[in-house]
Formats: sequence, C-alpha cells, structure tokens
Amino acid sequence: MIVADETQTITEPADLRERLVTLEETQRAILNVLEDMNEERTRLNETQIALMNILEDVEVERVKAEQARALMEAVNRELEAFSYSVSHDLRAPLRAISGFAQAVVEDYSPRLDDEGKRFLGLIQDNAHRMGQLIDDLLTFSRLGRQQLMETQIDLGALAQGVFDEVVAQSPGRKIQFAARSVPPALGDKAMIRQVLTNLLSNAIKFTRSRREAVIEFGHVVRRDQGAYYVKDDGVGFDMQYVNKLFGVFQRLHSMTEFEGTGVGLAIVYRIITRHGGRVWAEGEMDKGAAFYFTLPEG
Amino acid sequence: MSDEKVDIVIVEDDPSDAELIARVFRKHNMVNNIVVLKDGAEALDFFFGSRATDQPKVVLLDLKLPKVNGIEVLQRLKSDERTKNVPVVVLSSSAEDHDIKDAYKYGVNSYVTKPIRFEEFASAVSELRMYWLLLNRPVEGQTPVPAARRS
Repeated sequence: MIVADETQTITEPADLRERLVTLEETQRAILNVLEDMNEERTRLNETQIALMNILEDVEVERVKAEQARALMEAVNRELEAFSYSVSHDLRAPLRAISGFAQAVVEDYSPRLDDEGKRFLGLIQDNAHRMGQLIDDLLTFSRLGRQQLMETQIDLGALAQGVFDEVVAQSPGRKIQFAARSVPPALGDKAMIRQVLTNLLSNAIKFTRSRREAVIEFGHVVRRDQGAYYVKDDGVGFDMQYVNKLFGVFQRLHSMTEFEGTGVGLAIVYRIITRHGGRVWAEGEMDKGAAFYFTLPEG
Repeated sequence: MSDEKVDIVIVEDDPSDAELIARVFRKHNMVNNIVVLKDGAEALDFFFGSRATDQPKVVLLDLKLPKVNGIEVLQRLKSDERTKNVPVVVLSSSAEDHDIKDAYKYGVNSYVTKPIRFEEFASAVSELRMYWLLLNRPVEGQTPVPAARRS
C-alpha cells in the first residue's frame, strides 16, 4: 500500500514501478519466511512426537526394570525364608542328639566305661560341628543376597578390634600381632568384619604349633594395585592346593589336625567378590601363609 | 503372701525339646507342676476351655506350633482379661529369630533360646513384673536357693 507522504509526492511512473518491485520482493520475502516457519513448525511437531516416543520407551524400560527388581526381591525373600526354615528344621533334631547324649552322660555315668563316655563325647562333638556347619551355610547363603551398606572403613582399627575379640577365646596363647596403618576402604562394615574375623581366626588357629606366633595385618602395593593382607607364620599350605582353598567345604587338613567347617574362606571369597575385589593366597608348608584381598578405595 | 505353687506350662510340639526342657527344671530340683501341651489347639483348650483354672502359671511358648500357631495363642492370651497377666516366655531356636520381634509386639514378656539353660530361664522369669514363685526342693545338706526373686 503506498502511503502518501506529505513530504513526498508520487511523481513519475519510474518511482511507482520501483515501489511496486520493492513491495513484491517484500511480499515474497514474507511468504518465504512464512513457508520456513511452517517447515519449522512441522519439524518441531515431528521432534515433539519423537520425544514423546522416546519418553514412552524409557517408561516401558523403567517399568520392566522395576518388575525385574521386584521379582528378584521376591525370589530373595523366598530363598531367605527357605534357608531360615531349613536351618531351623535341621537344628531341632541336632538339639535332641546333643541333649540326650548329655543326659546319658549325666544320668548313666557310673554305668559307663571309658569307651562309652568317649563315644558319647564324639556324638556331642559331631552334633556341635553340624550346628556350626548349619550356621556357616546360612551365613554363606545369606551373603549372596544381602544388600551392601557401604561406608568408609578404617581397616586397621577394625582388624585390631577383631583380633582382640578372637584371641580372647584362646587364652594362654602367645601371639605377636601388628595391625599396620592402612588406607581407608569403602565397603559394608559388617561383612568386612566377617572377612577379618575369618582370616584372623584362621591365622590364630594355624599358628597353634608356634610357641610365639607372629600375625600381621597390613597393606601392600603390587603391580599398581593396593591389597590388604593377613600374614601368619603357622603351618602354611602347599601352593599346589591353592585353588582349593576358597571352595565350599574344601579343607586341606583333617579334622584331627585342625577343626573347621571349610566354609570360612568361601565366605571371605564371596564377600570380597561382592565388593568387586579379588582374594588370593600365598603359602609355604610350615613357613606360614598370607591372604590378600582388594577393596574399593575409601 | 503364700507359698503358692506356680505351674509351668510348656507349649512345644517337638517332644524331644519338651522333654529336655522339663529335664532342666527337674535337674534343678524344681518341684512345680509341669504341663506339656503339644500344639496351639491344646493350648487354647487348656487356657480357655473346660480345663481352665485360675492356678498361677508361667508359660513357655514355642512359636512354631501345629494347628494354631504360637503367635495366635499369644494374641488370645494377651487379649483376654482372664489370661492377659499370665507371664509368657517365648522359646526360640535362635536369638536371630524374627518371630521373637513379632512376639514382643503382642506383649510377650521374655524369651529363651533352645536348648534352654536354667540360668537363662531363671533370669528371664525374674524380669517378669508379676508376683510369682518357682519352688526348689533342696538337695540333702543344701539350703534351698530361690530360683528367682520374690516380690
């Protein structure tokens, strides 16, 4: 639209033509912009639809993950109930065996000769051992299913505390123990405490023959990886059996040499593996053993 | 305050467990009358049925019972005016038993783990706030030792 300007007067036709051309170009430009905008709008619409689809897919995946998690929790609860029930049902006849063997000893002692008393002692020892096995198996099975509660752990302090507790059960033993200062680790404190309990109990047990045992807890860096260790100077083991050490019920000694259920190291292995770490052992017959494990840095 | 005899009522389905518990009491020269009930239904009948009496008693209750389970027996005992003051000690196979926590919710007074030791039982029972007395018959030459505090 040509606006008549007071200061300007429409004069020659050339002027008009120019104005018209400018107008047409402007109109074309506007139409182009409108077309571009339309295209943009279509593209935006498509993007929006695509985004909605992605959100839907994500939601579907989330629901699936949630269902899988719920299923796993249900299975875990079932397994827990099962092993709990099994352990209780196994303990009942064990109580009876122990209890009545004890009753025979108490009430019929005068009528029993030494052999008789020895047999009854064996019955009770084995019942006790079976009770221990049930406890260990229950612990072992629970380990695979428990949630890890991670905190920063001062392993040196923990090791000293555990050692003091365990050694108190063997009064009269002379043991030189050193818990060196070690870097903090990240882990489930109760489980790591179990690891140290098992390793230190073993160290104390297998150094029985030494007049004064030497046991050490520390940290070492090997091949760029830091590892904690429990070392002892006890009976050690033959390295050719090193792969058997961490299996369930695997023992390298007979019951008469050393008592034990053969689950302790399997428990250690399971706990450390669940923390994403490694466990290994080195030993030499009659020179001692060292058990190493890695944990995430605290 | 008379020397009223208190009955010991053992509600336990495993006959070996029940026998060994009774044996612990006899070995400590306790002369209380011991009653053994083998399932929840017998327990309910004993406490609420025609046989029910006002005789003071302390109950040792196993939670896993056939017919009517221990928790239900406990609920019935604690919700009935006639029996809610009867002291109940739960019998458990292990201290980790989560049934014990359930039992405490229903007002159980204490628990002991099987196999029971006399000292644990005496201490569990001595924590009860109710007047009770467990009787000992002394062995020749000894003076009677009270099994738990008298109030």
